[in-house]
Parts: sequence; C-alpha cells; structure tokens
Amino acid sequence: MLVLVDALIAVGLVVMTLGVLGVYRMPDAYTKLHAQSKAVALGAVCLLVAAVLRGEATNALVGLLVGGFLLLTAPVAAHVIARSAWRQGEPMRGETVIDETDSRELGEPGDDR
Amino acid sequence: MHALVFDLSVLWLAGLLGASVGLVARRGTPAERILALDTLVLVLIGLLAMFAVDRREGYYLDAALVLALVAFVATLAAARYYDEGRPF
Repeated sequence: MLVLVDALIAVGLVVMTLGVLGVYRMPDAYTKLHAQSKAVALGAVCLLVAAVLRGEATNALVGLLVGGFLLLTAPVAAHVIARSAWRQGEPMRGETVIDETDSRELGEPGDDR
Repeated sequence: MHALVFDLSVLWLAGLLGASVGLVARRGTPAERILALDTLVLVLIGLLAMFAVDRREGYYLDAALVLALVAFVATLAAARYYDEGRPF
C-alpha cells in the first residue's frame, strides 16, 4: 500500500511539473489553459488520492470530496477564463491559429449572458 | 523510504510553488494572470495533500477543501470582472 502511495505521489509530481512547465512555455492564454486545466488539476487529484489511500476513513471522505470538486470545477474555470479572454480580444499566437468561434455563440463583450 | 519520498516531494512542490509565483508576477495578459493564480492554488492543494499523506491527519484536507472552494469562486469572479467590469 505504501508503495502505491509513493507511486501516486511520483506520478502526481511529474504530471504537475509538466503542467507548470506548459504554462510557462505556451505562447498565449488559450494554449496555456490546456496545460493548466488538465495537467495541473490531474496532478493535484493524484496527490489527493494518495492522501485518501494513506489516511483514515474520515480523511478519505474529505479527500474524495476535494478531488471530485477539482475534477468538476477545473473545466468550468478554464471555460470561463477562455471565454473572457476571447471576448476581450486577446490575441492567439503561434503558427497554427484557427479561430472558428462564432461571436453569436459567446456574445460580444458587454452583453451579459 | 517513505520519509525520503516525502521530503523530496515537498521540496519539489515548494519549487513548483515558487515557479507559479513567478508565473503570476510575469508580465502577461490579464487572462494569463488569472490562470497563473489558479495554477498557484492547485499546487498549494497538492502541497496540503502531501502533508495529509505524511501526518495522517484530516486537518490538512479540510484546509484543501476550503482552498478549492474559495479558489473556484475567486477564479470565476476575476474572469467575469475582467470580461464585464463587474464580478456577478
């Protein structure tokens, strides 16, 4: 069991490090969101699962709650950040830019949806 | 073995925390800074989970739960403030 815990910690750390590295290296907010909302959040969930396996029953409940909450809210937060960046007209950098977003889907800045 | 893993990983996570602070402080667009703040909080939650693993106590996970809740609302409020000029 202890080996499993240590392995989960190692996996979580590697994934989280790759995520932070991605946030450093990616050129604009939209691509940074890929690294942040998936890699960093899943690394944190890995560490939380390690805490669940190691702790007692009440710990496990709280740990699963935090992990589930992160899994639910990370995509929502990423969506809100990307939406605000797009509506404020932040540029997409890089060589492979395709913006097929219809402004009717997200609305112009200022109209409240 | 486990003590060594714990020490190394706490050091590593502290380094990641410093890197996230650098991300927030770095010149960037507002959306990139909101995103960096979210990264910072996620690393902090990971650090609290590490302490929960080592000490086998639930208090750290309680703190992580509150941090996750507050960070989610803060991200929503910051992004909507950036977009529309008011949080809600």
